[in-house]
Amino acid sequence: MWSEKYRPQNISDMVGNEESRSSIIEWFTKWKKGTKPLLIVGPPGIGKTTIAYLVAKQFGYDMIGLNASDVRSKSQINEILSPVLGNNSVLGIPMIFVDEVDGIHGRGDFGGAEALIEILKEPTVPIVLAANSDTSDKMKSIKKVVKTIYFKPIPPRLLKVYLENILKKENTNIGPGTVIKIIDKSHGDIRSMINLTQSLVTGFNPQTEKSFESINVEDGINAFFKANSVDEARSILYSIQIDPKLKIDAFYSSIITSNLDKDTLAKLLEIISEADVLYGKIMTTQNWRLLRYLNEILIGIYQQDERIRYSQYNLSWPLLNRIRWDGKKIKALSSILAKKLHLSSSEFITMCFPYALFCIKNKKLEFELDENFDEIVQKEMELIQ
Amino acid sequence: MKFPGTCIVCNKKIEINEMGLWAKGLGVKHQKCAEVNELQCIICKGSAGCSHCEFRENCDIQMVSQLCICKKCNEGKNPFDSYLKSVRQDFPHLNPKS
Repeated sequence: MWSEKYRPQNISDMVGNEESRSSIIEWFTKWKKGTKPLLIVGPPGIGKTTIAYLVAKQFGYDMIGLNASDVRSKSQINEILSPVLGNNSVLGIPMIFVDEVDGIHGRGDFGGAEALIEILKEPTVPIVLAANSDTSDKMKSIKKVVKTIYFKPIPPRLLKVYLENILKKENTNIGPGTVIKIIDKSHGDIRSMINLTQSLVTGFNPQTEKSFESINVEDGINAFFKANSVDEARSILYSIQIDPKLKIDAFYSSIITSNLDKDTLAKLLEIISEADVLYGKIMTTQNWRLLRYLNEILIGIYQQDERIRYSQYNLSWPLLNRIRWDGKKIKALSSILAKKLHLSSSEFITMCFPYALFCIKNKKLEFELDENFDEIVQKEMELIQ
Repeated sequence: MKFPGTCIVCNKKIEINEMGLWAKGLGVKHQKCAEVNELQCIICKGSAGCSHCEFRENCDIQMVSQLCICKKCNEGKNPFDSYLKSVRQDFPHLNPKS
């Protein structure tokens, strides 16, 4: 991916937020035990995490990167950070980086935020926190014990210069109008801008120049199965930015309603199942870091297959129609027949309905039914043949 | 100002009795900071020409990082290299050789 290929290797290679970057380096240069930790606040995709990694590399620290989801409880924090803070680390010189620290919420966390604040008050190693926003009450408590540096969105024209430099290195060119559109759509998010450009350059959806971010799930899934290479499919997959559950469901419904042979269907459903297990694990443990593996599981589905088209519903149209139009009549019919056989409706419909239909067909049983039911009885009898 | 605050533009303190512009839900900024309506070109140090910029409708001047590139410098040879060179000159901490 271009976003990885062109990830800055040095802080001086980054773009925008020059003063903030300079302040961060100054903070690291002057750091000594007890120096207030650093909080970097800014919108996503403008280099907060990148600078933390680069600065650790530049100053020779071994970075211990955590996400807010890793520090939800006091015991978790102590388990992870105590060895580092107590200088019992087998690593070199450690540095702690806690990403998305604004994701810590009071009630859902079991003393995590308070334990973190206690650590921030007496730092024995450099600690850097990153957050998208600093306005919540929890962040206000954290801000009291840290030095805050703001990362602002990068001016679009500067982004253009950066993007054109990448295009030049890739020996490719896109129209100035497209460049402007890409930059506008990415709202200052460099990562998103680069992904979007790569998607356009590698050939997906070139006619409309629609961004992947605004693309609907239908176009995304259809393009995924039409992609010419795994890389292109991966790029499309990453660009379908919807709720992970909806993404899994969309692939499931598209695959299950497509006309596939049994072996292929089994293989694809196995992958969907794996993705669903991962999602279940994320929901149970609330460990959202695992989400990064979802697309890598789903990419296993990729095969250039014109037979698979997007489907919103996970049942075929004939079956959906049957449920919609005949469901009510079947329910009424089974309720009457259940009474005659002294069974509950659900028991009748699951256990006896097909046999009752056979009996009606073979004239072994005579139910006195209203004429209205003749049509549905005929339909159902045809289906069980 | 009746109460002290922190400027949302420059992030510096605004003291009591100092002039500041406050808006509910947004915060407060120095009068001077509020007047900024042009970004600076990091290469030539002149104005970035925001009023004629192709991105003027999508660039919130007060919210973005304050150094940009003017049209003329953008049209020069290797503008990104010129940008990196200027950053390294103006911000010694960002110069790996310093």
